Parts: sequence; structure tokens; C-alpha cells
Amino acid sequence: MANTVVAFQSAYRVSEPDLIARVLAGDRIAARELYDAHSPRVYRLAFRLTGDADLAREFTQDTFVRAFAQLARFRGDSALSTWLHRITVTVVANAMRKVKRFRERETDLEDVHPLGSDSMGVDPVLRERLHRAIDQLPEIYRTTVIMHDIEGYTHTEIAEVLGVAEGTCKSRLSQARAQLRTALADLAPELES
Amino acid sequence: MTDDRFDELMRDAAQTYRKPPQPDFEAMWNAVASESFGVANMTRRSFRFSRGIGIAATLVLGIGIGRATVTLKGATPKEVPVVAVAPATARIDSLPEPAPYSTETSQYLGQTAALLIALPSEVKAGRANGQFLGRAGELLTRTRLLLDSPAANDPTMRNLLEDLEVVLAQVVHLDNNQNRTELDLINRALEQRDVIPRLRTAAADISAN
Repeated sequence: MANTVVAFQSAYRVSEPDLIARVLAGDRIAARELYDAHSPRVYRLAFRLTGDADLAREFTQDTFVRAFAQLARFRGDSALSTWLHRITVTVVANAMRKVKRFRERETDLEDVHPLGSDSMGVDPVLRERLHRAIDQLPEIYRTTVIMHDIEGYTHTEIAEVLGVAEGTCKSRLSQARAQLRTALADLAPELES
Repeated sequence: MTDDRFDELMRDAAQTYRKPPQPDFEAMWNAVASESFGVANMTRRSFRFSRGIGIAATLVLGIGIGRATVTLKGATPKEVPVVAVAPATARIDSLPEPAPYSTETSQYLGQTAALLIALPSEVKAGRANGQFLGRAGELLTRTRLLLDSPAANDPTMRNLLEDLEVVLAQVVHLDNNQNRTELDLINRALEQRDVIPRLRTAAADISAN
């Protein structure tokens, strides 16, 4: 069956440039395919940056609405995913600047995922402190840490998304980590004892 | 704090920091499609309910119009007073396909394409379960309703709907054992009838119109 499945999928799979061309021609099924392929990661990024499920949904939708509106301008210089994530970061950053309260917003209990199965044996107090320290990082550092350490983007990808040099990205990550270590310093002796 | 300990903390953070819940991607898509492509607007919170009502209402309306059209077209001049027949027939014949039908047909085609494209991977992953087959059954019902509606007046659309009826009926009868022969038959039917490309073309045509 595997061969049949692969053969079937390859017969109907179209390349991303072809999908983009179809979307530009008004093919909504192609648009849906692009959405299906990219929305999970866009949503993840939006949620990691906001910590709010409703905002993440709104920003994900805004990202795709903007992307479809501006798709004709996409020249393929970077991957479509990079382009989409750049829009996501821009949408989130603009919204967060306008609504300062998000910075102080406590994460809703309903948005908190149970930690049990994912716990790596880390002290909950230390984990909470680290989460707060990430929240309190300056935006450029926080975005870099979230993209690199939390979501696993490479420096090259982050540099493309944020429109900075790769060296700048590495420098920001280094600075961000230093600030996080400082924020946790008073708890370190307890942990190492 | 050692580097190893800090790295361990960051790995833990990757698992625990703002871990995203599972959103309703379907509802999000409808909001995106509504804004980007002008599809009938659906509120996110009541999406499933309003969508069901909307489809049902559209289908009932369409079937009513369709049957009325067929009745009037089938009437002979002898059976109906001349004064009444000519204008009534001309008026009905000149009616374009009702706009709600375009929307409904477009949505139906998109959802059917999505299901058929996903079918092989769903089967491979063992997810062609009751929910998936239920969706196929719902689409089969809508196929038959559309076949009995003005949407099927167009010969090309009617042929496509008839082919989809055959394929969806096969999908609905996929058993839980994921029988390979059944899937092969469905794949062959899709390929021989060129279903997916025709679905894309039909959806694009409706969008363009």
C-alpha cells in the first residue's frame, strides 16, 4: 500500500511555485493547500511570541490575509515559509507595540498546557523564573531566543526573517542568554547543591 | 550555573514555555478565506453551527428552485395557458444559477478535494476512522443533493458530481482494516476519471465567476 500511497501523492503533489501561481490565478484550493502547509508553524510562532491563544489565532489569520493580499510581491528570493514568518513577526510586533498590556498579561490558565509528561525534572520554581525572565527580555532578544532556542530556527533563518545579519542574530542570542543567566543567578546555588 | 545546566533549562523551556494549544485551523481558514476571497462570512465561535444551518438552508432553497425549474421546463404549451407560459418560461430560463449555489458548490468542491487529497496519508497513518469516513458520508450526501439541484444543470459539473458520487461511495465503504484493494480501487477511480484536476478546475472556474 505504501507504494500506492506514494505514487498517488506524487501524482497530485504540486510544487510551491505552482501553488503560488494558482493562488494568484484565484484558485482557492491552492490557497488552502498553502495554508494547510504553513499555518501550524505560523500559529506556533505567534503563540510563542504572544502567549495568548486568541491573539495567536488573530495574528495567524492576519498573517495569511496579508500574505494572500501581497503574494504577487513574493519573488521567491527566500523560502515562502521565511516570508510568511517575517510577516508573522511583523504582525505580532506591531500589535504588541500598540497594546502594551500584553507584556504584563498573565497567561490564562486555560492556555497553560499540562507540563507533566514534558517535564524534564526541572525545578518548577526555576522553570517559572526562566519563563518570566524570557517574558521580560527586550523584544529583539526575546524574539531571537524564542525563534532559536524554543522553536528551533537556525541563525540563517532568523536573520532572513528579521532582516538582520547572521552575526547580529548570534550576538543578540548571546546577549539574551547572558541576561537570562543573570536573572536565574540567585537560584543557581540551590540547584547545584 | 554551569553551561550544561543552563542548556538543560533551555531545552526544558522549549517543551514548556508557552506551549501552543491545538487551535481550530478550519475555523481560522474560514476567517482567512472570508477576508481574502470574499467567501460568505462565518463567525469563528459559532462556525460549526452556522455553517451547518447555512448549508442546509442553501440546499433546501436550491432543491426547491431546481424542482420548480424542472417542472416549468417540462410543461407543454397545451397544459398551460399561453399567456402565462411564455413569460414564465422565459423568466425562469433566464435566471442565472442562484448565487448561494456558487458558494455552496465552491465550498463543497474545496472540502471534497481536501478529503480526497488527504485520503492516502490518512489511510497510511491509520486515521481513516469513523470521523473521517463520517465526513466522507456527509460529502456524499451533499453530492447527491447537488446532483438534484440547479448546480448540476451544467453538464461538466454534473459529470464531475457523478464521478465524485462514485468515489465518495467507495470511500465511505472503506473498512477499518484499511483494505489495500479498496484503496487501490479508489486511487484507480480517481486517476481514470481525472477527478482531482477536474475538481481544481471546477473550483477555479467558480471562483473566477
